[in-house]
Amino acid sequence: MSLLERLGRGHLSDAQLARLWSSSQPDGRRHAHLDACAGCRARFAAFDAWAIDIGETLRAEADEAFPAERLAAQQAQIARRLETLERPARVIVFPKAARAVISGHSHVRRWVTVAAAAGLIAGVGLGQVVPLRTVLMTQQAPAPKTNFTAPVTADIAKALTSAATSMNDEELLSDAFVSPKVKNLSALDDMTPHARDYIARSK
Amino acid sequence: MSGTSPALVAAREADAAAAAAVKADQAAGELEDARERYAELVARHQRRAARIAYHYLRDAAEADEAVQDAFVKAYQHLASFREELPFDVWFTRILINGCLDRIKARTRRERWLVPMTGTRRTTAAAADGADWDMTDRVAAAGASPEQALLGRERRRQIATALAKLPERQRSVFVLSHVEGRTSREVSALTGLNESTVRVHLFRAIRKLRALLANDTVAAASGDLKGKRRVTS
Repeated sequence: MSLLERLGRGHLSDAQLARLWSSSQPDGRRHAHLDACAGCRARFAAFDAWAIDIGETLRAEADEAFPAERLAAQQAQIARRLETLERPARVIVFPKAARAVISGHSHVRRWVTVAAAAGLIAGVGLGQVVPLRTVLMTQQAPAPKTNFTAPVTADIAKALTSAATSMNDEELLSDAFVSPKVKNLSALDDMTPHARDYIARSK
Repeated sequence: MSGTSPALVAAREADAAAAAAVKADQAAGELEDARERYAELVARHQRRAARIAYHYLRDAAEADEAVQDAFVKAYQHLASFREELPFDVWFTRILINGCLDRIKARTRRERWLVPMTGTRRTTAAAADGADWDMTDRVAAAGASPEQALLGRERRRQIATALAKLPERQRSVFVLSHVEGRTSREVSALTGLNESTVRVHLFRAIRKLRALLANDTVAAASGDLKGKRRVTS
């Protein structure tokens, strides 16, 4: 039956059938035309069967995706999850030392921290104002003898070395009768009795 | 679409009684009893919940997770359940909200990630019929291979057509036609007016009919082309 024929005879279109189907009443009340027209009634029945087939196909597809075993496993999993809800996870306490540094809950700790910071600042400030280093230097000033002796001995050694290296054996023997060339030994030479004094006295 | 049957009324009364008992047990601190009673409710509504979640998400594993989440959430918030509303309507609303959240999250994820083939069948893959699981290829015990193939093809066409519907039309169609809810219940579940529900249902069925008719025509022309190719 063509659309023109349907329109001419006042038959229901597909859209009208769909509207009827979607707004059909639970008590079975239907469009007046359906009761009167056998053709439209048959088309509506076919439409209804088609819609029912779609619903059944979709249900079958979902049921195939969820077989009984899967549903049983799902139920067990739900029961397990509900059980764990009642036993909340235990919070593990972290070591005390790690928390003491970070947490600011203890008033004593906070005061200790503040006092330490204040002491540090005061110390730095005082250090800038008072020349502590110079005060300490003057109080403790030691007389480091080594500072003086070291150069003297070095000089003597140098003089001795230079003399020793510059004199040969004959000069050294002749020096026994004359005054020493090394000035630093002249005091010692003065205290020592000389052979030349005995010779002069005997003459 | 059909009216509330006496069996449904009896089931709802049983649900209400079970929900009230679970609430009382929870309040009294008898949690083991509460869980046992709640397991009855789970068993009664699990199949229907799985169907709804599957039609929303089109992925069995994700639907499984959504159903679990919904049951756990319902148990946790059972104190806020008003007994004048049927338990299944209240629970289905929780489930649908969860499914919609998952769809949003999936859309966000798919915007950034390249879809992977092989592990899970995504909506698009399922709709195209691509990437079939190997277990689908095992011969069924009952129907002949040809019947199984035709049945699978029919399901694929319907699933594809359903996936092409706008979200509200799809929800209304699934709830009212596949799950057999009345317009009033669908209205309570979706937050839409009853008249709007009927309009969405009308549009959904009209569009499905058009889409499936096109598929049938396309398949028929494809068959014809194939036959011509064979004969020529």
